[in-house]
Amino acid sequence: MIIASVEGWVEAPLARYVEESRAQMALLLHRSGQVIAQAGFTRAIEVMSASALAAAVFATSEELGRQLGGERMNEVHHTGARRQFHLAPVGTGRTAYICLTVFDAESSLGLVRVYFADLCRELIAASPAPAPAPAIGLDFERDLHRNLTALFGRA
Amino acid sequence: MSNPFRPVLESLAKQRGVQASLIVSESDGLIVDASLRFGQDGDRVAALAASLFRKARLSAGAARLGDVAFFQLDAERGRICAVGGRSDLVLMVVAEPNANVGLIRVELLKALDMLA
Repeated sequence: MIIASVEGWVEAPLARYVEESRAQMALLLHRSGQVIAQAGFTRAIEVMSASALAAAVFATSEELGRQLGGERMNEVHHTGARRQFHLAPVGTGRTAYICLTVFDAESSLGLVRVYFADLCRELIAASPAPAPAPAIGLDFERDLHRNLTALFGRA
Repeated sequence: MSNPFRPVLESLAKQRGVQASLIVSESDGLIVDASLRFGQDGDRVAALAASLFRKARLSAGAARLGDVAFFQLDAERGRICAVGGRSDLVLMVVAEPNANVGLIRVELLKALDMLA
């Protein structure tokens, strides 16, 4: 499975998570949609659209939770005919990421949740010193290009 | 509000050597209801045991052996016994290594009838 990241410290925990949970694909991203790491995706365009949509879905669920009961929704799970996805926040101490996991009948929501909890613990332990959260600004396109190049060797 | 699974779980939990009894969704690996009396992570046991049960059921089917009647996993510090196959629900027990498996098996099969 192809695993690539723009932050080296997330790679080993993500690889372990994907292997143990038997997920097909996983994407670790910032809430803004900036990709931190990916596993199992083969095309840059898939990563770009998945990260943008995942960030949007997560923001929508959070807002829906706030409007319905004043509480944030922590997890999103959707099932399809053959595939399911799980979307949840990862508090690494450095900044708040979200993780999109795609899995099929080889795994289950229970397994994904169990190993996702392990992933969160491992990322918190591996996380370097706190840094300011990235924001979309003038450097966004340059950062996006740099990240895609790091992930796929080309933009 | 009464829970229809509670009497089933309590009857299993009364057996000597039983540390936990769980009703788990086979497809999701999530706990439907459980009686936990041990310090382990019920979610973890449920997810992994449901996955094993599912694999065992599919393997038995692929080998043309029919349905899985009873599933048992013996480990150093305990054993997991499970029955299911009639619906998405799997009934499982976590027991001490020296627990009477024969008795547990009978109780699990009786409990499965109660669930049906």
